[in-house]
Amino acid sequence: MAILALKSRPTEISPDADKSGPIELVRYVCAIGAMQSAAAIPRVVPITHCGPGCADKQYMNLAFYNGFQGSGYGGGPVVPSTNASQREVIFGGADRLRELIESTQLVLDADLFVVLTGCIPDLVGDDVGSVVRDFQKKGVPIVYAETGGFRGNNFTGHEAVTRAIIEQYVGPWDGVREQGLVNVWSLLPYQNTFWRGDLEEIKRLLEGIGLKVNVLFGPDSAGLSEWRDIPHAQFNLVLSPWLGLSTATLLEERVHQPFLHIPVVPIGARQSSEFLRQVAEFAGLPSERVEAFIKSEETRYYNYIDGFTDFYSEYWWGLPAKFAVVGDSAYNLALTKFLVTQLGLIPAKQIVTEDPPVEHRDAIRAEFRNIDHDVSVEIDFIEDSYQIHQSIRNADFGHKPPIIFGTTWERDLVKEMKGSLVEVGFPASYEVVLSRSYVGYRGALSLLERIYSTVVSHSA
Amino acid sequence: MAKKLKQIAIYGKGGIGKSTTTSNISAALAEAGYKVMQFGADPKADSTNTLRGGEYIPSVLDLLAERRRVDAYEAIFEGFGGIYCVEAGGPQPGVGCAGRGIITAVELLKQQRVFEELDLDIVIYDVLGDVVCGGFAVPVREGIAEHVFTVSSSDFMAIYAANNLFRGIERFSNSGGALLGGIIANSINTDFQREIIDDFAARTDTPIVQYVPRSLTVTQAELSGRTTIEAAPQSAQADVYRQLARRIAEHTDSKVPTPLNPTQLREWSARWADHLVAAEQAEAERSRQVA
Ligand SMILES: Nc1ncnc2c1ncn2[C@@H]1O[C@H](COP(=O)(O)OP(=O)(O)OP(=O)(O)O)[C@@H](O)[C@H]1O
Ligand code: SF4
Ligand SMILES: [Mg+2]
Repeated sequence: MAILALKSRPTEISPDADKSGPIELVRYVCAIGAMQSAAAIPRVVPITHCGPGCADKQYMNLAFYNGFQGSGYGGGPVVPSTNASQREVIFGGADRLRELIESTQLVLDADLFVVLTGCIPDLVGDDVGSVVRDFQKKGVPIVYAETGGFRGNNFTGHEAVTRAIIEQYVGPWDGVREQGLVNVWSLLPYQNTFWRGDLEEIKRLLEGIGLKVNVLFGPDSAGLSEWRDIPHAQFNLVLSPWLGLSTATLLEERVHQPFLHIPVVPIGARQSSEFLRQVAEFAGLPSERVEAFIKSEETRYYNYIDGFTDFYSEYWWGLPAKFAVVGDSAYNLALTKFLVTQLGLIPAKQIVTEDPPVEHRDAIRAEFRNIDHDVSVEIDFIEDSYQIHQSIRNADFGHKPPIIFGTTWERDLVKEMKGSLVEVGFPASYEVVLSRSYVGYRGALSLLERIYSTVVSHSA
Repeated sequence: MAKKLKQIAIYGKGGIGKSTTTSNISAALAEAGYKVMQFGADPKADSTNTLRGGEYIPSVLDLLAERRRVDAYEAIFEGFGGIYCVEAGGPQPGVGCAGRGIITAVELLKQQRVFEELDLDIVIYDVLGDVVCGGFAVPVREGIAEHVFTVSSSDFMAIYAANNLFRGIERFSNSGGALLGGIIANSINTDFQREIIDDFAARTDTPIVQYVPRSLTVTQAELSGRTTIEAAPQSAQADVYRQLARRIAEHTDSKVPTPLNPTQLREWSARWADHLVAAEQAEAERSRQVA
């Protein structure tokens, strides 16, 4: 009998698929970092079943040294943990978890608990599902997601948490659909330093054209009532290059909900107006209201831009011409699009750092190749900062000092290159970020302020 | 409406005949027209050998060791009668974590929705002898196998192992896991062996699904890399396996096991030991008288 599998292995292994190794200066955290995704939903409290340090590390990295965003209602230091050690490894940690869930209910007031597992229970095979189901049967609002670090990074964890809530909490669809209601799946909470302000602006834009929005995460979400309402929405909007697609597909299967995928998070008037028209067409909204909203936003936007042009034309000699972006695909694509099409800057190097799943990479590459009718960008997927920095050093920035859109990890590099740095992603340890946004009409203005304040203060 | 997939796990002491019995059940089910998958949940990765001419197939974990991503279909191989053969595999003895390996392999097939896509009737998990850690209990968790059968001979060690397994299942059945289908009594050739296993079954209120005699036909078939069903389809032993397979296919109601506690088990085996000694003495006495 020949040894033939039902499907044969492709003999050629694409070089991206298996590249792994030590990483210097990380740009994401492990899957259990998605405890902050749970905490990003108002009045949701994560419960972690993991070793000592796992939860604290995620919180400090994601929510503290990244814009100093803070922990939220139930995140960070509030999060109860089993603090699993030798005993739980050898004898299993199910009993300890049961005990923790019981006592958590006594001391913490939450609308939903999300149990997240770390490496220890996932490795020794604790049947966390059966522990949590026992509580579910008793009517406790609780779900679980397996997020051991070896399963992937916090993007993977975020998808696991989202899926867990949809599958275990949201429940089946009653057949009712509400026209004009949309679920938004976009930036990764906490990982993206500006997610709160950005989601607020995205919600504002969608409401502006007449939609009702389940924004699901952040201070502008109504919390779990929005999640329970998910199946009623007319459609899902995936506003990111790939994150959220698996959720939209899940909802398509489960509750037969259509979805619209727009990879470019809009920054600036041109992109925002195009975005709104695209959504409006998909949702079948009357164009008068849509156009009226776009017009009023554009009027305000260009009013400011008008003032800005004085500066821009006077100062041209001191402004950078070429830029690089180092960051997650969502912001990287959005920024590149804005800087090229609205400011006329020239892309020198774009590096995508969140290790997107292999199956989405070609689509991400294609988006960058289509930045403008005459601008095509070849990106690199790199996670290791040593390699990232080498790649930026070797890029051609012409004669002017470069401007780099990156993270705190680029501080020293930018000094060495005598350029400017705008911190736009994890970790942003020299930015304090509350409600600031860089997307939409309003966010674009803040972004311009930040970019050119950085540039003009460079020589100060 | 999709048909209901039946998932079964076979447990039992090491070397007791799980793989042999499982492969013959699979073969008999395939012969009867069912679409079957046999899933070897054992790092030795030898469960499906006699379904594939004695040949080893690459395991899920072999493939995973090579590359981070595995398409489940790369680990599925067709064997006798179109049976889909999968081996979970595992690390080399003495290194790594075999339990985690089993979890990973089971998850991989579940996540990729292979069972639905292949439109299977029955999946049989052939699980490593001793349920040493959480990983080896994965097949009996909620949402995977719903019936467990244990292979046991009349040897005390095999019965201890079966009783231990009952305790494990009892634990899982509280949380929605698999229930006990019954005992497959293997290598039962004498009345005495039958009495012992019958008594254990009665004490634990467990049905005996089938008595399978120890037979040279099985050994011969194994040496030729085949199941008894394939190598000696006309044999009486093949008919035993066919009957067993039919019972398993028709089986619907499993139950929470009622194992003996350690003291009960010790007393039970002590009584049988006395019985055995007495019988042996009587036998010796008789042969002396004859001489
Ligand atoms: N009814 C039988 N008649 C004759 N030989 C048998 C019978 N059942 C099992 N055997 C033999 O016993 C040996 C062990 O069987 P098998 O490999 O099936 O056990 P197992 O329980 O799967 O072992 P392991 O725990 O190592 O996986 C094999 O050589 C097999 O042929
Ligand atoms: S990788 Fe594992 S051990 Fe490390 S922080 Fe994440 S869950 Fe904890
Ligand atoms: Mg075996």
